Amino acid sequence: MASQAVLDQETFETFRNWRLNRAQYAKEWKQRTGGRVMGYFCTYAPEELMYAAGILPVRILGSHEVQDVTEPHIFAMFCPFCRDCLAQGLKGRFDYLDGIMIAQSCLHIRQTFTSWQKHIPIDYSYYLPMPHHVQSRRATPFLTKELEVFKDSLEKWLGKTIDERAIDDAIEVYNRNRRLLWRVYELRKGDRPPLTGEEAMEVVLSSQMVDKQDHNAALEGLLAQLSKREPARPTGTRLMILGSENDDMEFIRMVESFDATFVIDDHCTGTRYFWNDVELDGNRLHNIADRYVKRVPCPTKDWPERTRVRHVLELAEAYGVQGAIVIQQKFCDPHELDIPALTRALNNAGIKTLFLEFDVTVPIGQFKVRVEAFLEMLQEDDLF
Amino acid sequence: MTDKKEFWRWKEYRWHDETMDWKNADIISTGVDIGSVSSQAVILVDGKLYAFSNQRTGSDSPESANQAINWAMENTGMTLDDIHYSVGTGYGRVNVPFADKAITEIACHARGGNFMYGPSVRTILDMGGQDCKAIRCDEKGKVEAFLMNDKCAAGTGRGMEVFADLLSVPIEEVGELSLSVEEEPEPVSSTCVVFAKSEASALLREGWPKHKVLAAYCAAMAHRIVTLLERIDVQRDFAITGGIAKNSGVVKRLEKELGLEALKSTYDSQIAGALGGALFARALETKRRKS
Repeated sequence: MASQAVLDQETFETFRNWRLNRAQYAKEWKQRTGGRVMGYFCTYAPEELMYAAGILPVRILGSHEVQDVTEPHIFAMFCPFCRDCLAQGLKGRFDYLDGIMIAQSCLHIRQTFTSWQKHIPIDYSYYLPMPHHVQSRRATPFLTKELEVFKDSLEKWLGKTIDERAIDDAIEVYNRNRRLLWRVYELRKGDRPPLTGEEAMEVVLSSQMVDKQDHNAALEGLLAQLSKREPARPTGTRLMILGSENDDMEFIRMVESFDATFVIDDHCTGTRYFWNDVELDGNRLHNIADRYVKRVPCPTKDWPERTRVRHVLELAEAYGVQGAIVIQQKFCDPHELDIPALTRALNNAGIKTLFLEFDVTVPIGQFKVRVEAFLEMLQEDDLF
Repeated sequence: MTDKKEFWRWKEYRWHDETMDWKNADIISTGVDIGSVSSQAVILVDGKLYAFSNQRTGSDSPESANQAINWAMENTGMTLDDIHYSVGTGYGRVNVPFADKAITEIACHARGGNFMYGPSVRTILDMGGQDCKAIRCDEKGKVEAFLMNDKCAAGTGRGMEVFADLLSVPIEEVGELSLSVEEEPEPVSSTCVVFAKSEASALLREGWPKHKVLAAYCAAMAHRIVTLLERIDVQRDFAITGGIAKNSGVVKRLEKELGLEALKSTYDSQIAGALGGALFARALETKRRKS
C-alpha cells in the first residue's frame, strides 16, 4: 500500500503536469487525433459544439509574469488578466492554436480577442454575440440561432458537417466532467476536506486545458483516491474565495500556509465554469444555449436582478464558510459593481470579508499581513 | 565640511516605572513591534505598563528586536529569562528571535489602542512609517474590519521625514510650524512622496515660506487619510496611533475634515503596536498555564 506521503505527491500530479505543460499536451493531442485546437477567452464559449466538431477547446489564460509587449495594443487601464492573456499570444506561447473564439462577456477581454485577431496570424477566429440580458425570455432563442450560425461557420472551416450524434456525445462528455468536478467539490463540504483549495484549483484549471475524456478518466481515479485520503494538515478556518477570474496559485498557497483552507470558490475559473449541466430536452442547440443562458452568471450578465448574490450565500452555507476573501482583477468594473452588494450580503449572513485587488503579479508580502490579520479576526476569541 | 543635520531624525528614548517591583510578578509579558521605520519593545508586569523603548529600525530585524528589548530592560535588572511570553509584531514580526508567537500589527494596534484609549474606542487610525491602517474594533479591542493604504507610502511617516529634510525643519516641529499659517493654502496636489517633493520645491522657488509649504503638505496628507477612513465607516470613539499621531499639523487638519476629534492619551502613540503585542502575550501565557 502506498504511504500517505507518496499518495499526496502523486494524487494531483497528472493535473499539475497538464497545467504546467499545457502546450505540450495540446501539441501531442493534435498529433494523436489529427484534430484542431481552438483557444477561447471566456467561459461563455459553447465548448460542446466545438468538441462535437472534433476540436479541442482550450481556455486562454495568463502567466502571472511581468511583461511589456501589450502596451501598444491594449489600454493600460484594462484589466491585468486580459493584458496577460494577450501577452501570451504575442509571445507565441499559444502557437499551437488553429483558431480563437470568444463569446461576448466583457469589453476588456473582447479587446484581447480583437487585438489577437489583428496581430497574431491565425487560421480561424469567431466572435459569438452571447446576449448580455440573460434574464430575458428571448435570450435562449437568440443564442440558439447564434449557435446555428457558429455551427455553420465551424462546418465551413472544417469542411465537414457536425451531426446530431456527435453533439449528443460531446454533451455527454462535458456533463460527465461537470458532475465529476461537482463530486470532488462535494467532498470539500466535509469537516475535514480531503483536498486543499490549491489542489482543487489545480484540478479545475486543468479541466480547461485538456480533452475532457482524459480529464474524466483522471477525475475517476482522483475520486477513488480522495475517498480514502486523510488530509495531511488541519482544516483551520473554512474560507471561500470569490470574484473575477483567478488562477493565482501562489496566492492560494500563501493563504493556506496559515491555519485555513479554501473550501469553495465562485470564480469563472472555478465553480462558475462547471456548476451547471446541459439538460437534454428536444433540440440540442437549444439545450446548449439554455445551459449558457441559465448558468451561474458573470457580473456582466447578472442584471437587472443580482442572482449571483443568492447563489454565493447558498454556497457559503452549504460549505460551512467562516470567512470570505473577495478579489477582483484591477479595473474590472463589472465585478467592482457587484462587490458592495456581495460584501453586504455576506456580512449580513455573519460572514466577514476581506477585499483584495489582484494584478498580474500580487504583492505577496502586503497581502500576507492582510490575510493574517483577517484570520486573526476570525479566530483567537479566547484571547480577549 | 560640516556634517549635514538630519532634520528627519526623531528622538529615540526609553522609560521604565521605577516605583514598580517586577520580581514578585505573576506574569511578565512583552511585545516587540519591528516596524519599517521604528521599533518598540513594551514590557507589562501583571498587565501594567512597566517599561518601553522606542528606536529606529535598523537593516537587520533580529538585531533591532534584540536592541529594543535590551534597551527596555536597561537598569531594571530584568533579563530575557524573566519574561514569560513574548509576541513579535510589525513587518519584522517573524524575525523577533525571542518571540513565542507572531501577531499582525493590525490586531496589536487595535488591542494596544483599546488599552491606551479605553473600551469606547471603535475606530483606530494607525499612521505608521510606511503604511496607514484604518481599524474598526469592538469594546475588547478585537478587530472587526480594517483597511490599509495600497501600493505607496503617501500619507505616512517616511513621507513626513522627507519633507522635514527638504525644508530643514526638525521633524518634531513640523506640525506646530504648519499650523502657524494665517490662512490655509491649497493642499499640494499629489501625496506621492516624490511628486509632492517636486511640487514643494517649485513652491519654495516661487517664494512660499516653509510653514506654508508644510501646511500644504500636511493638508494633503490629512485629506488622503480621510478618504481611507471614509471607506471603513468611522464610528465613535476615534483614536490615532503611530508616529504621525504626534504631528499636530496632520492631526488637527484630519479632525477638522472628519468633523470628529481624536481621543487623547497620556501614553506614547508609537508604542500602541508593541503594547497590544504585550497584552496578547499576557493572554497567551494565561492560556498556556490553563492548558
